[in-house]
Amino acid sequence: MATRVETFRRRRLRAASSSFDRHIRLWLIAPAVLIILALTIFPLAFSLWVSFVEFDFSVSNEHPWVGLDNFRDNWRDPVWIHSLKVTAILATASVVVELAIGFLLALAMLRPFRGRRPLMTLFVLPLFMSPVIVGGFFDLFLRRPFGPMNWLLNQIPWMGDVSIDFTNDFPWTFISLIIADAWQWTPFMFVILLAGLSSISDELYEAAEIDGAKPRQSFFFVTLPLLMPIVLIALTFRFIDAAKLFDIIYSLTRGGPGTDTYTSSYYLYQQGFEFFHLGQGTAGSWMFLVFLTVISFWLVRRLLKPLEA
Amino acid sequence: MSDELEARPEDYEAVGLDPALGEGAVYGRKDFLFNSAKLMAAAAAAGPFFMATKQAAAAELASLGADPIATSAINAAKKLGVGKLNKTNESGLQALDDKNFTGPLWKKLTGTDIGVTEAPFPQLYSKAVTQHLAKSSELDVFEASPVWIPDLADRGVIVSIDQWIAKYKAQATLRDYHPLYRSLMKYKSKTWGFYDDGDIWLLYYRKDIFGNAALRRAYKAKFKRDLRIPKTWPEFQETAQFITDQMAPKVYGTGMGRALGNPGNQFYFFQQFRANGGQFFDPKSMKAQINNAIGVKTMNQILAQNKASPPGVEKLSFVDGWVQWLSGKTAMMMAWPPTGRISENYAQRDKAFSFLPKSKIVGKVGYSTVPGLNGEHAGAFLKCVAADGKNQEAAYLFAQWATSPSVSLQRVQLPYTLRDPYRVSHYRSKKFWKAWPSAKQYLKTLAEGANHGVLDPIMTGAADYANALDRAMTAIYAGKSPKSGLDEAAAEWDRITDKIGKDNARRSYQNFLKLPGSTSKNTVAAKGLSVHQ
Repeated sequence: MATRVETFRRRRLRAASSSFDRHIRLWLIAPAVLIILALTIFPLAFSLWVSFVEFDFSVSNEHPWVGLDNFRDNWRDPVWIHSLKVTAILATASVVVELAIGFLLALAMLRPFRGRRPLMTLFVLPLFMSPVIVGGFFDLFLRRPFGPMNWLLNQIPWMGDVSIDFTNDFPWTFISLIIADAWQWTPFMFVILLAGLSSISDELYEAAEIDGAKPRQSFFFVTLPLLMPIVLIALTFRFIDAAKLFDIIYSLTRGGPGTDTYTSSYYLYQQGFEFFHLGQGTAGSWMFLVFLTVISFWLVRRLLKPLEA
Repeated sequence: MSDELEARPEDYEAVGLDPALGEGAVYGRKDFLFNSAKLMAAAAAAGPFFMATKQAAAAELASLGADPIATSAINAAKKLGVGKLNKTNESGLQALDDKNFTGPLWKKLTGTDIGVTEAPFPQLYSKAVTQHLAKSSELDVFEASPVWIPDLADRGVIVSIDQWIAKYKAQATLRDYHPLYRSLMKYKSKTWGFYDDGDIWLLYYRKDIFGNAALRRAYKAKFKRDLRIPKTWPEFQETAQFITDQMAPKVYGTGMGRALGNPGNQFYFFQQFRANGGQFFDPKSMKAQINNAIGVKTMNQILAQNKASPPGVEKLSFVDGWVQWLSGKTAMMMAWPPTGRISENYAQRDKAFSFLPKSKIVGKVGYSTVPGLNGEHAGAFLKCVAADGKNQEAAYLFAQWATSPSVSLQRVQLPYTLRDPYRVSHYRSKKFWKAWPSAKQYLKTLAEGANHGVLDPIMTGAADYANALDRAMTAIYAGKSPKSGLDEAAAEWDRITDKIGKDNARRSYQNFLKLPGSTSKNTVAAKGLSVHQ
């Protein structure tokens, strides 16, 4: 009898062990899946629910179903529409400036020269700074009357008497924000484009030279086409990131004057976390996610086209 | 020994407290001598913190018998034996009160730790709401602005403290509050916390400039009357511009922080709009009234003040405004009560205030109610008990103790925080009168300011209304016409009202209108409740 029990136990153990072996992959990924479910899927599903109910701290503790009302409230809010335009303008302008300067810097740093390494280290330093600090720094630098910017401009003989309110007067508020963002993120473009430029084989340039191509022709017919996939990657990443511009706005202009520099992220932050209009804020976030997804999808398709070709 | 340490039943009677509450409070000569010796030794060791140590000594002695309100809280808290209370506080200077003074003293007297969660002013609201939404019980005490009380009370974020006031016989402590501040603890006939920061605006002015013979002559020649401290808003703007014309860039007539959200331009508008006779809403239709003729007039007056201010005032923060004032660059400033203390270097003796320059205007500053008489009661704090907290009774006792007459008197004299006088006994403290030569006048004017003070709109959606107006005002500073800027703000106010629900908003606004200080015709003084020094 004892032997049969022992055998039965062994069989069960073996079966369990073999089942564990067969499903080892599931067991190994289970913790990660659970964490993702808890930290990503659940909040996403919850936020989707919040955007269809009345979840507004200043109205009630009840959360009745309101359908698309929260989405409609956003469309009817002129500040939200304005913030979308500001986001598009700031993101596009910042990325274009960063691309142009980053590209010029990458070209300048392509060939070795004395002092290139320390210079490159200096160039990438802003990338490691918190955007809030960058905004705060530019606020101190540009603010009238304490900031040194106006004083510096006044030292230029032909400038005359300069007194610009960089963080209050149009278009200086936008220019200030673009400069602050470009100061921080141009190094990102620079590093990616430099990597792209370095990967283009010298043999191609030699072949072009043998074919009689001038430097300008080499640039337009060799460098640019080969660099384009890298440029699109950099543009896609930077645009998605720039469209979420929040920290620099928060510390430099607080969306002002008025609502002039409200980006969508700043608007949604205020709606959600300052005034607790969570339903409207969450609905706005979903709308913003859809816009960003469409744009990113378009950019990625553009990105894949040359690779597919 | 200071007058505060000698508090007797008759002293409590003098400030409106029930003298019977002092009975049974035993604090012998031996205890006093022993504690004094300990505190003297501690004070000597503390060196630069001597002043705060003296205040700690006074607060401790009061808590051990001299002040029945403080003593009963200490005794009850000891019995409860709670290990730790967590509370919010405004980050920076205000939090130093809890971290350096109130927290350690409470720990010493009751054995209960005070954990402080710091946040900038608007985020104190977010912290409270987030805790409630997340059903967390981490925080026990909230520092809440009176304008948030309707939302926090209606949504169940804070609990009424009436049951504990009755249990610990603390009703008498309420009578010592200035009537303006006493009314702010009540909402829907319940008490929601202990008021703890007398944030009334005064006009601070330079006596030396207003007494300057050459300037006075020039003023008389131009306006055919004597130069005086402005009593009306048109006079303020005229005087400020005159000083700027005469003395800029060395000195400007005025200069107050107008940056978006720092401190919040709505305060300037609320104050002046009501002094000009304005009402925020039509109480029946709840249609916003800020864009009417009075609103436009108010906005034009504010723009004229900006013109008489240093360049870039539109982006100056409140602290920048202080820096200009302390450096002697401005002749008049409307601001919160710490302005009087920092003007005399009372606060800057503490290293916490090293972010501000030493005052160059010591002994030169006078105090007055604001032009138009009705100074804004801007911001302020109540100590409230979190509805989701685990230690509600202990949290209440901490609030009762910290705001008790004797302990709060020491706290409003701390050099390093921004806690401002609010009790009748604060204004009448002979010790406080001696803090600097003109301190008595300062306290007298603060009481006077509260007599005529007007309140921020305390109603549902207050934060949204304030934000919309603040934004509109900065847009007007940047070039938009006052009428169109205010029209946009009024439209936004109407949208906010629609969102809250007109009936809900109307009830809330009508509740606000009942408070003394809701309009310029409904102040504490107009109700015959004035407090004088």
